[in-house]
Amino acid sequence: MRVLAAVLLTLLFMGMLLWEMPISYAQVPKGPWVDEVIFSVETDEAKTIDMLLKNEIQVYFRDIGDPKLFEKIKASPDLWYVTSYGLYFELTFNPVGPEFPATGKLNPFSVPRIREAMNYLVDRKYICDEIMAGMAVPKYTVLTPAFPDYARYADVIKGIEKEYSYNFDKAREIITEEMIKLGAELKEGKWYYKGEPVTIIFIIRVEDQRRMIGDYVASQLEKIGFTVDRQYKTSREASPIWLRGNPADGKWHVYTGGWIVTAVSRDDADTFGYFYTPRGAGGPLWSAYKPSPEFDYVAGRLWTRDYKTIEERDELMRKALKLSMEDSVRVWLVSQTAPWPARKEVSLTYDLAAGFSGARLWPYTIRYIDKVGGTVKIVSTDLLVDPINPVGGSNWVYDAMFYRALSDPAVIPDPFTGLYWPQRVKRAEVYVEKGLPVGVTLDWVSLKFVDEITVPRDAWYDWDPVKQEIIYAPPGTKAKTKTVVYYDDNLFNIKFHDGSKLSLADIVFAYILTFDRAKPESPVYDESYIPAFEAFREYFRGFKIVSTSPLVIEYYSDQLYLDAEWIAWAAASAFYPEYSYGPAPWHMVAIGWLAEADKKLAFSADKAENLKVEWMSYVAGPSIPILAERLEKAIKERFIPYRNVLGKYVSEAEALERYSNLKKWYDAKGHFLIGNGPFYLDRVDPTARIVVLKANREFIDPADKWLRFSKPMVPEVKITAAPTIVPGLPANITISVTFEGKPYSRADMSYIKYIITSPTVTLTGAAEAVEDGKWVIRLKPEETALLAAGAVSIDIIAVSKLVGMPVSASGTAIVMSETEYILSELARAKADYEVKISDLKTSLERRVSEINTKVNELAGALGAITTAMWVGIAALVISIIAIILTVLRRK
Amino acid sequence: MLPRIIKYGLKRIIILFITVVIAVYITIWIANIGGYVDEIVKSDILLQVSQSVRQNPAYRGLNETQITKIINEIYENELKKIGFDKPFIYRSLIYLKDAITLSLGRALFLSSDSGSKSVRIIILERLPNTVLLFTTTQLILFFIGLFFGLFLSRRYGSFLDRLSVLLAPLSSLPGWFYGIFLILIFASFLRLLPYGGMVDAPPPADKLAYALSVLKHMTLPVLSWLIAYSFINVYVRRTFFLMFSSEDYVEFAKAKGLPDSIIQRRYILRPTLPPIITDFSLTLIGSWMGAIITERVFNWPGVGSLFYMASVMFDTPVLVGLVVIYAYLLAATVFVLEFVYAILDPRIRAGVT
Repeated sequence: MRVLAAVLLTLLFMGMLLWEMPISYAQVPKGPWVDEVIFSVETDEAKTIDMLLKNEIQVYFRDIGDPKLFEKIKASPDLWYVTSYGLYFELTFNPVGPEFPATGKLNPFSVPRIREAMNYLVDRKYICDEIMAGMAVPKYTVLTPAFPDYARYADVIKGIEKEYSYNFDKAREIITEEMIKLGAELKEGKWYYKGEPVTIIFIIRVEDQRRMIGDYVASQLEKIGFTVDRQYKTSREASPIWLRGNPADGKWHVYTGGWIVTAVSRDDADTFGYFYTPRGAGGPLWSAYKPSPEFDYVAGRLWTRDYKTIEERDELMRKALKLSMEDSVRVWLVSQTAPWPARKEVSLTYDLAAGFSGARLWPYTIRYIDKVGGTVKIVSTDLLVDPINPVGGSNWVYDAMFYRALSDPAVIPDPFTGLYWPQRVKRAEVYVEKGLPVGVTLDWVSLKFVDEITVPRDAWYDWDPVKQEIIYAPPGTKAKTKTVVYYDDNLFNIKFHDGSKLSLADIVFAYILTFDRAKPESPVYDESYIPAFEAFREYFRGFKIVSTSPLVIEYYSDQLYLDAEWIAWAAASAFYPEYSYGPAPWHMVAIGWLAEADKKLAFSADKAENLKVEWMSYVAGPSIPILAERLEKAIKERFIPYRNVLGKYVSEAEALERYSNLKKWYDAKGHFLIGNGPFYLDRVDPTARIVVLKANREFIDPADKWLRFSKPMVPEVKITAAPTIVPGLPANITISVTFEGKPYSRADMSYIKYIITSPTVTLTGAAEAVEDGKWVIRLKPEETALLAAGAVSIDIIAVSKLVGMPVSASGTAIVMSETEYILSELARAKADYEVKISDLKTSLERRVSEINTKVNELAGALGAITTAMWVGIAALVISIIAIILTVLRRK
Repeated sequence: MLPRIIKYGLKRIIILFITVVIAVYITIWIANIGGYVDEIVKSDILLQVSQSVRQNPAYRGLNETQITKIINEIYENELKKIGFDKPFIYRSLIYLKDAITLSLGRALFLSSDSGSKSVRIIILERLPNTVLLFTTTQLILFFIGLFFGLFLSRRYGSFLDRLSVLLAPLSSLPGWFYGIFLILIFASFLRLLPYGGMVDAPPPADKLAYALSVLKHMTLPVLSWLIAYSFINVYVRRTFFLMFSSEDYVEFAKAKGLPDSIIQRRYILRPTLPPIITDFSLTLIGSWMGAIITERVFNWPGVGSLFYMASVMFDTPVLVGLVVIYAYLLAATVFVLEFVYAILDPRIRAGVT
C-alpha cells in the first residue's frame, strides 16, 4: 500500500513538473507543434477582431484595413500583429499629348517635367499620417521598401526622398513655367488653354483609401489652378477607361493606381521596364509610354538582365532610379503597412510581402508559446474558392494557404529575405558561365564560375509522346548554368499521408508530365499550358539522375537569377513531387490523368471549359465519384502511366500497393488530396466552408527545425554618439545595432550606409563594425574639411542578412570651425571647472552642515547624559538617606 | 368545360413562357450592361495576366517579344475559357438557351463550394441552406401572422392588440440590424451562441450533433427576423381580418347567433384564403432567393450571398440561373394559383372579370 502511495505521489509530482516545464524542455513532437488547424470564413473584419479578442479564433489570415480596428489590436494586451508591405498606391498619368488627338484638349501630364513636379505637389507624409492613419510609409520610387533591391540602393533612394520631398512652391513654380510653355494662361488663379479652363479628368478609385488620396491630390491640383473633374469609380468601372481605353481619346488624365505583390522579390530589375516603358503590360496605355532614350535604354537592359556583373547592374539600377523620377509617368505615393493580428499565446512565421497566409513556413512554426499540441482556429475572408488539384487547380491564396500546409518542398523560401533554404536537400553546387552576375549568400550552395557548360549526351532533354520515350540532349547542347543537387539521404523514407513512400518514380513521373501536357499527341494535352511550357522550354537544357541512393541530380538551364540559391531552387524543385498547385505522389496524379484522358474531368479550368466537363477537384464535389471510378480502374488494370519509362522505376506490385493506400485513404477521409507535409487534410465541409488539418506525426522532422524563423530579426539602429565635427579633423560617429536590446551580430549584418548632408556637400559611405552591436562612421580629415559650419544631418541605412527590410535612423551633428572649436572647448572646460568648483563648494557646505548636525546631536546627547547623571546622583542620595533612616528606625 | 380549361391553361402557359423568356433576356442584357461588361472583364483579365506573368519567376529574363507573346497567349486562352472570344450577342443567346432549358451552363468565374463550375450545382449547393434558414423563418413568420392576426382581430382594442400595434414599428428596421445587436449580446457578451456561420468548426462528425449545431447557428438569424417582422405581420393580418370581420355577411352570421369558431372558419377565413395563399406562395418563393445582408452579417452560405458575389463578379450565367429559376417558379405559382382561386372562390371563373 505504501509502495503504491509512493508511486502515485511520484507520478503526481512528475506530472506537476511536466506541467510546469517550459516548452524548450518538453518533448518536441514530429511534424508540427500543434495537433490541429481549423480554417473557416468570416467576411466581417470587426466581427473577426472581436472573435480574436474573445479567443474564439487564434489567428486572422488577412490583413486589417480599418485604422480603428488597428487601434483596437494595438490596445489589446491579448493580441499581437505583424506588418506586411505588399500593397502600394500611386498616380498613373496619361502620357499622350500635349493635346489629346481625339478632343484637342490639353494634357499637362504629357510633359515629363510637370509629372516630375507632381512629386513635390503631394505630401506623402500627410497621406501616411492622416489618410492612411499611420498604416503606410511614404514611397517615392518603384522599389518596395521592405525588399532587397530597396536595401541595395537605399542610399540612392534616401537621396531621392530628400530631393523630392513635399515642396508646394517648387511644384507650382515648375508647373507654371511648363504650362506657359504649352501656351496656357493663368487668369484669376485658374489655368486656361485656348480660352477654356484646363480640366483634369481624375479617375479616383472608391474601394479603399484611394478615394481620400484622390480627393487630396485633386485639391492640390486645384490649388495650383487646375479645374479637376473628379470621377469616382470602382475597379471594374475604371479599368475599361484607363487600362483598355485608348489614352489618346482623352477620357482621363490621372488615375489612382494600386498594385500588390505577394512574395518578397529578390530581383526587381525588370520593374522599370514594366511600369515606365511599353514593355510592361501591353495594351494601349503601355504603348503610349515614351520614355527618354536614355531611360528606355537603361530600362531595356535591366528588363532583359543584360549585364555581366553585379556592379554593372548596380550602375544601371541607380541610373534607372533617378531617370524614373524624371520620367514620373507614375508618381509613387505610399506603401501600405498592413497589420495581421493573432492571439499573443500563438506564434507563427509571417512573410514581409504576404503576411501570415503567404508565409511558406507557417505550417512548420505555428504553435502555442506555452504548450505543445492544441487546436488553432484560423479565419480568413474566403476559402475553397476554386477546385483543388496539384496540376492545374486553384491558385487563390485562400486555397493555397491550406494546401501548402500539406506539402513539404525540397527547398523553402526565407520569409524575410526571399532566399531559399534547404529542406530535403543537403547541398547544391551551382556552376555558372564566367561573366554572369550571380552571387551567393547561404553556405548550402556553392558557386563556381566556369568557361563553358556542355550538357552531357545522356541528360534528359524532352519527351516523345508517340514512342513514349525520353529524348536525350542533342550533341553540343550548351547551358548557362549547371546545378548539382544532393538530396537528403533519407529522402526515400519520406511518407505521403496515405503511407506510400516517396520514390524516384514520383520524380520521373513529374518530369514526363511536364512535357507530355504540352504535346498535342498526348491524351492530357492542354492548350492553356503551352505559354508556361514555352517559357520553361526556353530555358531548360537538361536533367540527369547521377545517383539514386542518395539521390543526386544535375540540372542544366539558361535561366539566371542574381542569387545562386534561386538557381539551386529551380533545379531542386523542377521535378520534385511538388506541383504548381500543391504536392502529389504519382499515383494520386495518375487517377486524375485517367479521368482527363477519358474526357470526364480536366486538370485546368481552360481544358475543362473546352471539354465541357468539371474542373478537377481532389477534395469535394462531382469530381470525387469520377476519381473514385478511375482509382478502381487503375487497380483493376494495374495502371502505370507512361509504363514504357515509369515501369522501370515502379513495379506492378508497388503500383497496386500505392493505389490500395490511396483507396484506404479515400474510404477513411472521403477525398483524394494527399501530400507529404507536416499536416494532412482531415476533413472538408464545402458548404460550411470549413477545412480541418491534422498533424502528420509520421513527418520526418521535429517541430523545432524552423523555429528560428518565428520572428524576423529586424535590427534596431540608433546614432548613440554624434560628436562635434571639426573641419579638417577626423571624427567618429557611433551607431548601436541591437535586436530586442541585445547586440546584433556583425556577421549577420550586410552593411550600414550613411548619408551626411551639409549645405556644402553630401558625404556617403559605409560604417565599420567595431564589435557586435557597435558600428562607427569614420570621417577622414579631408571629408570633414568639406563640411560647412552649422548643423548637419546624418541618415543611416542598415541592412541585415537575415531580413530583407532595410532600417534607417537619423540624427544631427554640429560642425564648427577650428577657432570656434577651441573657444568652445575652452568654454566647455571653463564650464566644467565651474561646475566642478560649484560641486566642490556644495559638497563642502554639505559636509560642514553634516558636522554641525553631528555636533548638535552630540551636544544634545551630552545634555541628556548630564541630566541623567544628576538624576542618578539624586536617586543615590535619596537611597542613601533612605537606608540611613531605615537603619536608625530599627535601632 | 374541360376543353375550355385546357385551352385557357395552354394559353396561360404560352403567355407565361413568353414572359419568362423576355424577362430572362432582359436580365442577360442588364447583367452585361448591354455588353459593356465585356470591356470590364477583358481589362481585368489583361491586367491580371500581365501582373502574374511579371511576378512569376519562371518568366524572368525573357525578352520583350517572348513576354508579349506569352501574355497574349494566356490572355486569349482566358477569354476563350469564358467564351469571350465570341461576340456578346451570340453569347447572350447561348445564355438564354441554357437558362430556358434549365441546363444553366457553366459559371464564368465562380465555383460551387465543392469546386464545380456548373451553375446548376453552384445554385443547388446553396439552395438547401437558404431554404433551411429563410423558408423556415418565413413559415414561422407567416403562421405567427396568421394565428395572432386572427386572434387579435377578435380582440380588437384589448391590451395585446394595443401592444402589437405599439410594437409594429419595430419593422421599420431590417432584420440584419437586430442581428448585429443579437450577435453583440449573445455571441460577444454572453458567449452563448455563435457569431455566425452554419456549423461549428470543426463540424461535428455525428449527424445528430451536426444537425443540432446547425440549429444553434440558425437561432440568431431566425430570431433577428422574428423580432423585425413578427409584429408588423401580426398587425397587417389583424387589420386584414378586421376588415373582413366587419363585412355585412359576418355581422349577419353574428346576428344569427353562429358560434365564433364557425364565423372565423367559414365567414372570415374562407373568403380571405385566396390573398392569404397568394401571399404564402410568393413568400415561399421569395425566401428561396435568400437575403444578401442577413447572410453576410451571419456569414450564412446561402443564395443571397451567391447573388451578391455573382453581381460583383459579373458572372452572368450564375445571375441568369438564379433569375430563371425564380422566374419559372413565379410563373408556375401564378399558373397554379389561378386554378386554386377558382376552386376556393366560386366568384372567380375563367373569362369572368
